[in-house]
Parts: sequence; C-alpha cells; structure tokens
Amino acid sequence: MQQISEYNRRRIRMGIWFSAPAVIVLLTVLAYPILASWVLSFLRVYFAGQGLSFRFYGLTNYTELLTNQLFREALLRSIYFTLVEVIVVTFLALIVALLLNHPLGRHAFFRVVLLVPWALAPVANAVLWKWIYNANYGILNQALIGLGIIDRNIIWLGSPVLALNMILLADIWKAVPFIALLLLAGLQNIPSHLYKAARLDGANAWQQFQHVTLPGLKTTLIISIVLQSIWALKVFDLIYVLTKGSPADSTVLLNYLSWRVTFSNLDVGYGAAIANVLFVLMFILSLVYIRALRPRKTKEKVG
Amino acid sequence: MISYKHQLSRFFVRMGLAIFTCVALGPVIWAVVTSLLPLTALTSRPPDLNPLNMTLENYGLVLDSSRGLFSGLINSFIIATFTSAVGLVIGSMAAYALARLNMPGSSLILMMILATQMFPGIVIAIPLFLVMSRMGIVDTHFALILVYLSFTLPIVIWILKAFFESVPMELERAAAVDGAQPLQTFQHIVLPISLPPLFATGVFVFIEAWNEFFFAIILTRINVKTAPIAIAEFSGQYQTLYGQMLASAVLASIPVVFLAIIFRRFILEGFVEGAIKA
Amino acid sequence: MDKNRTFNRVSRRDFLKLAGAGAASLAAGNLLAACAQRASGPVKLNVLVPAAPDPAPPGVAKFSEEAFAKWKTDNNVEVVYEAPPWPQLHDKMAANLAAGQYVHDIMYNCGWGPEFAGYLVDFVKDLPKELIDDLPASSFSTVTWDGKRLGVVFTLSLLTLFYNQEHLANAGITDPPKNWDELKGMAKQLTGGGRYGWVLNYGAPEGIGGVASYWMCFLQQAGGKLYGEDGMPAFNNEAGVDALQVMVDLMESTDPGSISYVGINDATNVFSAGQATMMMNWPFMWKPANDPATSKVVGKVGSALLPAGPAGTASIDGTDAYTIAKLSPNPDKARQLIEFYLDKEVQKRQVLDTGWLPIRLSVLNDPEVQAAAPNAVVILEQAKNPYDSFVTPDYNAVTTAIGSELQKALAGSESAADAIKNASDQVTEIVKKRGS
Repeated sequence: MQQISEYNRRRIRMGIWFSAPAVIVLLTVLAYPILASWVLSFLRVYFAGQGLSFRFYGLTNYTELLTNQLFREALLRSIYFTLVEVIVVTFLALIVALLLNHPLGRHAFFRVVLLVPWALAPVANAVLWKWIYNANYGILNQALIGLGIIDRNIIWLGSPVLALNMILLADIWKAVPFIALLLLAGLQNIPSHLYKAARLDGANAWQQFQHVTLPGLKTTLIISIVLQSIWALKVFDLIYVLTKGSPADSTVLLNYLSWRVTFSNLDVGYGAAIANVLFVLMFILSLVYIRALRPRKTKEKVG
Repeated sequence: MISYKHQLSRFFVRMGLAIFTCVALGPVIWAVVTSLLPLTALTSRPPDLNPLNMTLENYGLVLDSSRGLFSGLINSFIIATFTSAVGLVIGSMAAYALARLNMPGSSLILMMILATQMFPGIVIAIPLFLVMSRMGIVDTHFALILVYLSFTLPIVIWILKAFFESVPMELERAAAVDGAQPLQTFQHIVLPISLPPLFATGVFVFIEAWNEFFFAIILTRINVKTAPIAIAEFSGQYQTLYGQMLASAVLASIPVVFLAIIFRRFILEGFVEGAIKA
Repeated sequence: MDKNRTFNRVSRRDFLKLAGAGAASLAAGNLLAACAQRASGPVKLNVLVPAAPDPAPPGVAKFSEEAFAKWKTDNNVEVVYEAPPWPQLHDKMAANLAAGQYVHDIMYNCGWGPEFAGYLVDFVKDLPKELIDDLPASSFSTVTWDGKRLGVVFTLSLLTLFYNQEHLANAGITDPPKNWDELKGMAKQLTGGGRYGWVLNYGAPEGIGGVASYWMCFLQQAGGKLYGEDGMPAFNNEAGVDALQVMVDLMESTDPGSISYVGINDATNVFSAGQATMMMNWPFMWKPANDPATSKVVGKVGSALLPAGPAGTASIDGTDAYTIAKLSPNPDKARQLIEFYLDKEVQKRQVLDTGWLPIRLSVLNDPEVQAAAPNAVVILEQAKNPYDSFVTPDYNAVTTAIGSELQKALAGSESAADAIKNASDQVTEIVKKRGS
C-alpha cells in the first residue's frame, strides 16, 4: 500500500515538474496583458502624455457596446463567419485527409502540396488574394470571363455580402492544410485491425467510415472544431489587407473592430471590452463543444 | 464486380487528389507568375502572360540588401526554430503530465491553458509592449520567441495530450513493471510512438512563428526584422508593388516548404509506423 | 525499438540545456549591445519615418546624402532611422507612446498631431524667423492644437486633378473641367468602351486619403466646413449634401471597382493603365505616372486645379509633418535636425530627386524646381484656395464614421441626405465622448 501511494506521489511531483516550464512561460508572458485587458475594460483610457492616463468608468464601456449597432452587426457577422468556416473547413479537411490516407495519396508529394498554402505568410496570402480579387486585373475575373461564365467584371470586394464571403473563401483556403494534417495524423492512429474486423463483419466502405473512422477521429475532430472556431473568430489580417472593413463596415468582424477601436481611435478601454466579449464567446463555445462531446470513459491509472 | 467498384473508387480518388493539388497550388502558382512579370504586363486586359515578358527583375530588386529580406529570413529562421524546439519539448512534457500523471486540477489547468489561446491577440499588444519595453527586450529575438511560445504552447499541449491519452495503457504498464520511471516511460515508450502528432505540431509551431505578423511589427524596430515584415515593406501608402511583394513572399515561403521536403521521410515514416503499430 | 536510438542521441535534458543557453546568450548579446550603445560619444537621435517612396528624409530616401553626412559630423549627431511601411506607423506610435518611455526623438506625423498632442513638444516657437517666414500658414495649421504648434509640414501635398490629355483630346475637349457641371459632363462623355471618366479609392473610410477626406474637398468647394465654432459638426446642411451628391452623380462614370479600392495605388494603377481619364491625387503621383516601368500613359498626364463648386475650388492638405517627442532627451538637437530637413538645398533636392514637393515658398518658386515638377505651379495655385483637412484628435474615428455613411450613399443604398444626417449624428457622439 505504502509503495503504491509513494509511486503516485512521485508521479504527481513528476507531473508538476513536467508541466512547470510551459505554465511558467504562459504565466510570465500572458498573465499581465490578459489581466490588464480585463482591467482596462472598466476604465476610460486617455492618451494624454506620459504614457496612459486612466479614469474609472464602471460598466460604461460594456453598456456602450450593447447599445452600439456596429458592435451588434460585427458580432452577428463573426458568428456567421465562424459557423460557415468551421463547417466547410472540417468537411474539406476530412476529405483531403481521407484522400491522403488512401494508398494512392500516400506519396510525400501530396504532403508537401498540403504545406504550401500554409507556408505562405498571412500578409502575403492576404495581398495575393487581394490581387486575385482585383476588380480590373484580378485573375478570378479574367478567368471567369475567359471561360464565359460571366460577361463583365464582378467587384468581389465591393458589395457587402460578397466581400465578406470572399474573405471567408480566402481564409478557408489557408485553414484547410493544418486541419487536414491533424485529421490525417488522427486517421493514422486508428488501428487497422478495427477496419479488418469491420470488413470481416461485412461492412462496406461507408459503414466502415461511419463505425470505425468517425468514432476513432472523435477527439481529433473536437480539437479541430474548437481550434478552427477560435481562429475564425480571431481573423484579422485578411480584413486589414483586403477591405479595411469596407464597404460601409460590412466586413468589420469583432477582432478587427477591437483593433480599430484600440489602435485607430485610441479608445483602449472600449477596445478591451470588445476583446473581452470575444474571449467570453470563445470560452463558452469551447466549453459547449467539449462538454457535449466528451468521451465517457474515465481515466485509468497505471500501477 | 469488386474490381469495377475498386477501379471506380480509384478514379474518384485520383480526381480528388488532382482537384486538391490544383486548388492548393493554383493561387501559389499565380503568385509566382505575378512575381515574374512587370506591372504593365499584369494591368493589361487580358493580362499579358507572354513568357517572353518574364523577368527576374522583381527578385533582383527584392534581394537588394536595403530591403532586408535576407536578414528577415535569418531572423525568422532563428525565431521559428527556437520556438518550435522549445515549444515541443516543454509542450510535450506538460501534455504528458496532464494526460497521465494524475495532476490535481488538471482539467482546470487545461482549460486555463486553452483560455490563453482564446484571447484576441490584438488587444494584449499594448500591455505586452509595455512589459517588454520596461524589461528592455523590445527588438530582440528573445522577446518574439517568448511571445510566440505563449501563443503556440496551448495548442501543442492540447493536441499532444489527446494523443498521449490514446496511447495504449498496456505499453506504459509494461514499462512500469520493468521498473521504468515516468520520465523514462515518456522518453522511450510514449514519444517514439507519437511521432506523427509531434511532427504535425512541430511544423505548426514553426510556421506560426515564421509567419506571425502583428506582434512582430509592434515588438521589433530595426534589428529583428522578420520575413513577414520584409514582405510587408512593399505595401506602402502610395504604392503596392505587387510583383516585388509576391517575389519576396515566394522567397520567404521557400524555406518552410524546403523543410517539409527534408522532413518528409520522418513524416512519412511516422505515418507508416503508426499504421503498422497496431 | 529502432526509433529510440534516434531520440536518445539528443536526450531531452541536453536539448533543454542547449535551448536555455541559446536563449540566454541571445538575450545577453542584445543587452550587451544596448549597453555599448549608451556608452559611446555622439548624441543619438532616433527618428521614426515612413519607408520610401512615401515622404521620407535624407538617409531613408535617396537624396542629399553628402549634405546629411556633413551635418551629422558638424553637429556630432548619430541618426538612427526606423522606417516601417506607412500603414504601420500609427500602430507603432500608439504602442510606443502608450508605453510612456522614450523611444523616438522625431516622429513623422500625418494628421495625428492633435491626437498625440500630449506627447509632442511645441518646438515651432524656437525655429528661426527666416524659416517660419518662408513657410505657408498651412505648414502649421494641421499640427496645431490648443494654440500650440507641435510640428511642421515639410512637403506641400495637396490633392489636385490629374487627367489623361490624350483621352480629352480624342473626345474633342481642350481644357480639363473647371466646375462641377463640367466635371460630371466630361466624365460621362469619356465613359464607355471599357474606359471610365473617373476613378478613385472609395474603399477605405478613414484618414487622410480615405473617402471621407475626399468628400471634404467637395465640402469646401461648396463652401462648407466640417466643424462649427463650438467644435460640433456643422456639415449637415446643403453644402454637405451637395458635396456628397456630386460624388454620387459621378458614380455612373466611375470605375465600379472604386468602391473596393482600399489604397490610392489601386486607383492610380487604373489611371496609369489608361483605363480611367480623371482622378484626384497627391503631387507625388506625377513621378510614377510618367515612369515607363509602371505606366502606360507616360507623357499624357496633365494636372489641373480641382473643379470648382459653388464656392470655388478647394482641396485638402496631406499634412506630412515632423514632430518632436516630449520624452526626447535632446529636443534641441532634434529641432536642429528638422531645420536641416527644411534647409533650402535639401528641400530642393527633395523634389528633384524624390518627387515630393518642398514646403518652402522660396524653393517652390525656384524656376529649376518648377521646370522639374510641372505640377508644382498647379499646386501653388491650388494652395491659394481653402485646403483644410479638419484634423482633430478624433480624426480617425470621425473619418471612419463619415466614410462608412458615404460608402452607403455611393453604393446607392442610402440617399445623400440620409447619409450626411447619419454621419453628423455619429460625429456628434464622438465629439461628445471626447469631452467626457
């Protein structure tokens, strides 16, 4: 008995040592800024000279954003953006992962291809898509006109609904590689004897997918969906380069709004309030996902 | 009948792979083409894609040392490598602790770690800059490595924890019976099996650290220009030199792709090993 | 197991040690370098300016190199430039100033003077009289706040009309439009066959060079002002609506992509490709429009006054200025450096070598300058009419609010009257908040 509990104690101590470096890094770098952001949201911040000056502001920043029409619209747009992106990216990434897992797709060439959109720096990616979407010279318009699908240039970034969705498209293109890689790694981790057993039971490809692949991918899928939601809510570079929120603020999403208010209007308190709302949104979202899809088995102990 | 279905499915797979390759590479190829043409060719309607117009002048202008692309690449390489290496080491350790080493309050810690990821980075830029400025480490590699570690560790930990949890307990039990300490179990049993997710997250951290833009702008001045900053130099108020910008983007992306090619054996082996393992 | 060997070769602890040592040495190296710099002799000035081809001083832009080197030796000054691309300047300044620590001595400013007024020195009162007399009043008006002159504009940069002479000649038009009616008429006439009469970047709402600032030209041409004596918006009237209405009326002759062009370079590309006939632009445009590497309309570009509205012609100021930070340990040396930037010879080389017009009246009237920059005459003429940029500390917030409403009207989803009214309401909110 004594031996077991000592072993356990040693394991716990080991656990603390193991996780200490990571936790220390996170705390030292992020603790102050995140706390500062929370505190700032309750203050009115002035750029008055000698750093920043503050005045206690209570909940005014929050009541302001609740009554602000632009904030409400940005919130709805962010939700729409995230929803669509998560669904489309997960779907596409799953297909890509399945393709790359197939014997025909096992070549290293495809894995390198997978990395290429990802390797492009976001600022370059944004400029590239801006160039592709350019109303007059963009390759998208030229190609579509050349193929006879449209007969005059479409101003991709000129109309509210279209602009938002073109940004969505560019972000999806950039996001699929990592999720596909993740899902691929997850696919590789599914023991092949499960497939053999299913085949012996007479399951066809679709049934194998349903009963072996999907359950085996469950954790990876959850992680992918949560991460993708967080990243979709944080989208910034694309908006900054492609539209700067135009036309008429129709591509202003929450993170971009937070930046604009903080850095462009220098209303740091209000910007912090928006960021905090975004944070709470992501937090709740993740909790919902994780709780709803938590694997039921309890953790086993070794020894 | 089986062979017909088989052939049909192979056809669809081939089609899928072809479409995937085109969609993934299409925009990038267009970037390369744009970087090889002068602006006047690109602003003709339809664009003048005549190969005779192709020129390396954009690349020449970009590699001109005053633009700092070379030093940008070197800085990015240093920062990305350190971030990736350190991130994998301490991240995998923390992930193992949370997965296996019965830590008190581990799910709370995990939630907190993930919560740091959820903070929209933009807003913490000012307090973060304040701290780094007081510490006097603005415009150093160290500052960026630290910041990027804090951005990527949560994901590394989260992903690796999930994989470590899926490692069959029998293996670890067997090692414990043989008298292995948790550290040794981790090092010799668990890690080697986890090569696919290790490489996936390692590559992820490298790319994120390589490509990060906003904090690189805020936290650097002159000495530590990274590759994305060098790329952004071509987008001013009065001019966006598309050709040169995309040339620098292509150049800046080559190292990452190069690394992927170098490590493809590891990535491939890891996958194959994963399939055979069970 | 084979795989263990690969991993054992570099044990985890060794790697940690290596990483730690590497990080520590990087940090130590950086700290040492910082210490070394503090110990050396000459006065060090840190200067924040945009990267060329945006307006930049000698040392960043290529002009007056010898004079600059001589000045530095004579004054025992070392100048360290930080020159990010223009769009990054405001963010950097916000972060630097918020940190409350000395970072730069001299900072370039573009409409942010009143915004950062608390951090800037009012050094203009210490400038030599002969220099101040040689500068137009606008040199200071956009960097003045609360009665203090916090900076000096160093390049005369006003929006003027640029047009394609060939297109006009082919349509039988001899002179560029002189008023709003002619502008609308000619634009309509010149639209067709894949070409447009007018192009501009309506895609970005805020700042100097955003759609709100363009509207301010028309506003002043209609005799309107942005603010009244009390600081409250005063443009919700006939002048404001008429100004917007002109832009809306022009839309039928405007390149439809205009609403998606975020930067002026997008519009300039269209003009330089010969696909649009007229646009408003800054004097700098003259150079790239006549550069065979980027332009198809070399030698066909003309420059003229902006078409007059009911109250005559008007424009806005580009407000490119130099300012000095309060936290600077060497404000006098910094001021002397700015005096160097404004030296007659340096200003002359500025326009001859980089295309950015000088601000000094004596240099602007120099025949050599006028020969090299034909549009300088037009700018000087334009400068005789109003060109207020209405810069206040809320410039970004105000122009964003106005700009969004303008975009709705230009897209046809709102009437000009409604747009102006909404804009006025929002600006009122913003101005009230500033006081709170």
